[in-house]
Amino acid sequence: MQNALLIGLSRQMTLERQMDVIANNVANANTNGFKADHSLFEEYLNSNAREDNFIGADRRVSYVQDRGTFRDIGQGPMEATSNPLDVAIDGNAYFAVQAAGGERYTRDGKFSLNSTGQLVTSDGALVLGTGGPITFQPTDHDINIAPDGTVTVLEGTARTDSIRGKIRMVAFDDPTRLTKLGANLYDIGSAVQQADTKSTVRQGYVEKSNVNAVSEMTRMVEVMRSYASVASLLQQQSDLHKSAIEKLADVPA
Amino acid sequence: MQALHTAATGMAAQELNVQVISNNIANLRTTGFKKQTAAFQDLIYEHIRRVGAQASDQGTIVPVGVDIGGGVKTVGTPRSMTQGTLSQTGNDLDLAVSGDGFFKILMPDGTYQYTRDGTFQMDNQGRVVTAQGNPVQPTITVPNNASGLAVNEQGQVSVTLPGSSTSTILGQIGLTRFINKAGLQPVGSNQFTETPSSGPPQDGTATAEGYGKITQGSLEQANVDVVSEMSDLIAAQRAYEMNAKVISAADQMMQSTTALFR
Repeated sequence: MQNALLIGLSRQMTLERQMDVIANNVANANTNGFKADHSLFEEYLNSNAREDNFIGADRRVSYVQDRGTFRDIGQGPMEATSNPLDVAIDGNAYFAVQAAGGERYTRDGKFSLNSTGQLVTSDGALVLGTGGPITFQPTDHDINIAPDGTVTVLEGTARTDSIRGKIRMVAFDDPTRLTKLGANLYDIGSAVQQADTKSTVRQGYVEKSNVNAVSEMTRMVEVMRSYASVASLLQQQSDLHKSAIEKLADVPA
Repeated sequence: MQALHTAATGMAAQELNVQVISNNIANLRTTGFKKQTAAFQDLIYEHIRRVGAQASDQGTIVPVGVDIGGGVKTVGTPRSMTQGTLSQTGNDLDLAVSGDGFFKILMPDGTYQYTRDGTFQMDNQGRVVTAQGNPVQPTITVPNNASGLAVNEQGQVSVTLPGSSTSTILGQIGLTRFINKAGLQPVGSNQFTETPSSGPPQDGTATAEGYGKITQGSLEQANVDVVSEMSDLIAAQRAYEMNAKVISAADQMMQSTTALFR
């Protein structure tokens, strides 16, 4: 009879973790370039059931465990900001940035300049171009970022464009291998990265979070209800246990 | 239950978002105001099952891990330094900059502050000053018998003195640029100060090298777009409500567990 309790517990633990994932998605509903996570479950077959000695083979007890969280890498909506340093990627690529621990990747294109005129993320990490960081001169104005990532400016009184670099876009064979580091950054570890040629950037836009509020709320209600139904199952199981003990211990007069 | 804390960070972030939006809306009619937007980042992840870990002796690799995120944080409230529209006032001393430059203002303590608000006046000594009475740099003093004050695109201030048929140039109002103008620190009263992030001020003159030109008789309006602020406000409010719903859902889940042990 213990089995039902343990199976219920395994389900509740996974539901709780699924709730955590949903809470993180909802909390990041307004985070630029955020990609939603979803939970995956699998059946976990334990060794034979313990407390029953019936004739014939024992059946295996099946628990549930969360196998993983997979990321929805779908494109988030683009929001026009009219800020010349906001760039959004149309496609599957990522921006490469120089973070504290080394090269990292992000979809958050809300860039700005630092005091030396280098293009940086909101955290101050350098945005990497194909030839290193992108640096502007003090007299540069009218910054233009082409769809292929080429950054041009008008320098001083010049009437022709000067190239300041090209924003590097990186693609991955297996984007599921990217791990989230927080701060809108991803790490790829040792996996292969290559220059992306299919994606384009759009100046004056930021990519918003791809969290779908309606499906998150629906999933949340689903999780909450299944959790409650498992709880009531455990309650019934415990009542059964209790009544069994009472009945068996009841000495007839 | 982690979800409770995660949703709490979400509520805090949206609260700040509403605060930033309401400040933009409050400054809708503030001359030279530049709007801000809140930028968020996700918090660090707890890797319960690491992606790429070995799953068996045969070298099978876990294709996806279990990563539980801890919520959201505010990383900054970057200022959008786009040009505001110019509105005509017809006032001789109302100046607007179209371009990157800022007016340089001398404060009483000897430091400089920078502004896009060109609502200037004359003080009792004839100096061109801001609405707070601090002189615009370089200081321009207008003689009290002068008439026909004119400011050209380069910022040159000229007047006609009595008994003269030609105008006399009194001086030139300068403009200052910053390599990262979004890094300036707002100090209220429509003014900004230099920070390590903005880079040092580069003094120059209007119409030169992207400093922008000065338009007399006009003021630069705030660059706040009401419609987008309102839609951002609705989005922030709904996000706040959703986080509140997550908290109540997590609470109900915990309640159903505690109800087990009556």
